[in-house]
Amino acid sequence: MTRVVVVPGVLALLPEYAALVDPVADLRAACLAAVARLGADVTVLGDAQGERVAAYLLEATDRSGSAPSFLVVGNGSARRSEKAPGHLDERAHAFDADLRAWLLGDGPLPDAGLGRDLLAAMTGFELMAERVPPGGPVGVDFDDDPFGVQYWVMRWPA
Amino acid sequence: MTLRLGRQAFRDDATLMMAIVNRTPDSFYDKGATWVEDKAFDRVAEVVDQGAEIVDIGGIKAAPGAEIDVEEEIRRVASFVGRVRSAHPGLVISVDTWRAEVARAVCREGADVLNDAWGGADPALVDVAAEHGAAVICTHTGGVQVRTRPHRIEYDDVVAAAIADTVAYAERAMAAGVPRESLVIDPAHDFGKNTFHSLEVTRRLGEMVATGWPVLVSLSNKDFVGESLDLPVGERLVGTLAATAVCALAGARIYRVHEVVETRQVVDMVATIAGTRPPARAIRGLA
Repeated sequence: MTRVVVVPGVLALLPEYAALVDPVADLRAACLAAVARLGADVTVLGDAQGERVAAYLLEATDRSGSAPSFLVVGNGSARRSEKAPGHLDERAHAFDADLRAWLLGDGPLPDAGLGRDLLAAMTGFELMAERVPPGGPVGVDFDDDPFGVQYWVMRWPA
Repeated sequence: MTLRLGRQAFRDDATLMMAIVNRTPDSFYDKGATWVEDKAFDRVAEVVDQGAEIVDIGGIKAAPGAEIDVEEEIRRVASFVGRVRSAHPGLVISVDTWRAEVARAVCREGADVLNDAWGGADPALVDVAAEHGAAVICTHTGGVQVRTRPHRIEYDDVVAAAIADTVAYAERAMAAGVPRESLVIDPAHDFGKNTFHSLEVTRRLGEMVATGWPVLVSLSNKDFVGESLDLPVGERLVGTLAATAVCALAGARIYRVHEVVETRQVVDMVATIAGTRPPARAIRGLA
């Protein structure tokens, strides 16, 4: 059975940006636990930065099995608050709600152009829509916007 | 190389704060603030809270003044060392003394380090260190007498002299049985040095670091800072911290200080710039 995991493309996950205190410790733990459930060979769906995040997560996990496996690197808007990297955009929350609904199998993929205006990392989701569209029971391990950026860690099957 | 200071060992990239605790009525900076033993004891607790890894307890001020004999120096520091040892079992306790008899008394009470600020004036001090497993700070004084100010001292090359004397002292201590990992060298700013000398050893501290011996610097509120900026004692913190930053970038390991918090911030910031310490917490631009 095909296995799919979605993680956000957070550069703070990368070892080259490690600090004494991990600002994304909870997110990191959720990502590593989810990615560990993928098979040995994993197809990465994401942009260039997303591929770096994926490479770290795959390197940091022990995986086995021959299940077809996809690691999607994408996240929602980075304009969800005044302190967010892209400052507040009033459209961000509604956009992320639509994106979440799509991930949960309950609606279409929202407009990627709008997503990019809202500093969402959309490439992974666009590729996911083509290759392994969301559907079926999903496990949601992380759904939060700790820095004004919407992150999800999700996995299929649940 | 691991640095071993008595009971404690430190990684070779660790920087350490050595907080000054005077058991004197007349030291230049605090002017006797911790002369009463309970005040000194409170001062130890304060600097431990501030993160100091080492306290340096001294019973005689460095400058000329009333003669303090061995018995009086022991009275001032030995039992106090024992009290600090009991209250702070993991703290590295250094004692600022040049006398072997005092060194023996404080080692029996639990001292870890002998800070020989007068550069081997008493040749038996290293034997006491070896006997008790204490570390030694090997300082450069240019051969001046104990508790004297420099007067018309000149060097062909003050840094070369500081390296030659401190390394020779460290090797003498090794020969006496002190492990290499328990020896530290200190150019001893303002000891046997005018302001120009102290500035030069600051500017060229990297040459001392390049010897491979761990380097201690004692810069705190000293006259070379005061003369550089024309500021009295009490107004030298900023200048002290600037000198601290220069020494930190050069690779100094131990900082003998009055102000622990400020010095720790400077040393950590410099190490972070140098890339030898990660930021405490970094998310800006990375979320």
